[in-house]
Amino acid sequence: MYALTPMDAPVVDVRALRKVYRVTERETGLAATFRSFVRRRYREVLAVDGITFHIDPGEVVGFLGPNGAGKTTTLKMLSGLLHPTSGEATVLGHVPWRREGDFLRGMTLLMGNRSQLVWDIPAADSFLVLKEIYAVPAAQYKRTLDELTELLDLGPLLHKLVRGLSLGERMKVEFAAGLLHSPGVAFLDEPTLGLDISMQGRIRRFVAEYNQRSGATILLTSHYMDDVVALCRRVIVIHHGVLLYDGALADLAERMAPYKRISVTLRGSVGDLSTFGEVVSSNENLATIHVPRAQAAERTARLVRELGDQLADISVEDPPIEEVIDKVFASERPLAETTA
Amino acid sequence: MVRYLRMFRAFAATEFQFEMEYRGNFYLSIFEMFLVIGTSIGAVLIMFGHTTTMNGWTLPEMIVLLGVYYLIQGGVNLVFSPSFERLMEHVRVGTLDFHLLKPVNVQFLVSTRHLRVVRAADLLLGLVVVIVGLLQVGAQIGVAQSLLFALSLFFGVMLVYSLLLGLVTLSFWFVRVENLLAIFWAFTEAGRFPVDVYPLWLRVSLSTIVPIGIAVTAPANAIAGRMDAVGVALLGAGTVLAVGIASALWRRGLRSYTGASA
Repeated sequence: MYALTPMDAPVVDVRALRKVYRVTERETGLAATFRSFVRRRYREVLAVDGITFHIDPGEVVGFLGPNGAGKTTTLKMLSGLLHPTSGEATVLGHVPWRREGDFLRGMTLLMGNRSQLVWDIPAADSFLVLKEIYAVPAAQYKRTLDELTELLDLGPLLHKLVRGLSLGERMKVEFAAGLLHSPGVAFLDEPTLGLDISMQGRIRRFVAEYNQRSGATILLTSHYMDDVVALCRRVIVIHHGVLLYDGALADLAERMAPYKRISVTLRGSVGDLSTFGEVVSSNENLATIHVPRAQAAERTARLVRELGDQLADISVEDPPIEEVIDKVFASERPLAETTA
Repeated sequence: MVRYLRMFRAFAATEFQFEMEYRGNFYLSIFEMFLVIGTSIGAVLIMFGHTTTMNGWTLPEMIVLLGVYYLIQGGVNLVFSPSFERLMEHVRVGTLDFHLLKPVNVQFLVSTRHLRVVRAADLLLGLVVVIVGLLQVGAQIGVAQSLLFALSLFFGVMLVYSLLLGLVTLSFWFVRVENLLAIFWAFTEAGRFPVDVYPLWLRVSLSTIVPIGIAVTAPANAIAGRMDAVGVALLGAGTVLAVGIASALWRRGLRSYTGASA
């Protein structure tokens, strides 16, 4: 289907991609509203500041960053909805914003907060329209729909009005709608947004299985670290439009959080442990200490030695991924803005 | 081309199924249409109770014109208005993105995606009114004349389409343009009478800013044998120009569109 890219070439190739938005600016109040109606003031906002990465065929990559980091802007550029201010990108060998037919037929963009289905008709009817739009041959359409119906358990949902579906059910149907044309690349923007835990898990299992079955390349953004941990071995972290990290999820903590976390359980109450490291929490007989990564072994040994019989349990771990990400995102960097 | 026809058929099929769900609404719309056409014809009849011609238009010719008006309005309301209503909503909530991701001509998609199938009844009633009028005129209608009529009717619909597209495109910059459309529809009401019954100043604005007057009057003239092939060709050229300008504006609007959350 995407024969234009050689087998080993990256499916997504991004070089120094940059996007500056011009946004209207307005003070509050009636008079200001009127002034801005007559004459608008603009401000330039740097959303994506020269990021470079590439993704190989079949990879599932997590794209992380806080709100406003530039994730959605990047996804929009990669799906051809936005022209970059500068820089280059190819997806499946095509420049996305040229919106060539082969490119559009080869990719999909799913957004957790937006629906492409018509709410007043059953999903099955919308699917038929999509079949014609993508000119999917009848046999292939049936095969794909059967497979998606099985994977997502769509049977009872297809003939109900979309309006009447629950949020989770609707998301399943949205997934099917976006994948009916068997795209080779899927951009998923917050696909589990607002879903309950069990439905999040359901969607996650689906994405993993779909990736295995179809070999599709997936770039996923999510605020739920569970999504990322379950699906992505590799993550790309951006903040203020700048790429902060690109590599294995497992190494993220090592790179981004230069400390390990030692949890101790004592038989008595916790005394002063500050000589061992930074005590981040302590209550009754439990304490958590952050120590520099390089000294983790030595500090642990010292804890065991000095606390002796008092010590009931001790564990040394990487900090939880949420905490690492929080730390990264909290790092302040002046907002890249210029007033025009 | 075949592909686009297949797509259009799929659009129509889904919308038809949707409307069949609300059959009561369907019958009510048809009743409403009878009422509207009935009162317009009544108004024309009352007017012609006092005079026999209006600027050279006789009563039967006026009835033909009224029929043409409903044909064009029906055509536009069948496909373009419901599609454009959705388009404006898409621009506002940012779901137009999904249309832009489709491997088809986006202008085609946003112009024809949604139909209001009930409006096909307007076409039918309009046609009946035209035929009744023509029977009254009593003129012989040749093949050439019918052809010119069909052509000018098509041009008329496309002329109104290009105007609508132009107006709706403004939503890329102003987001809410419903009020503009309301003004547009108020203007189209004026198209129920031949463009030459209006004073010159109004005729100029009707024919240039809102050429609905031309769109309706031209086919009525064509079928009444008052417009020749040259006239229809001129109308065609004007329509092509109008559609071209509207499409260019549309493409410009699309470029400036960045999505509601951008």
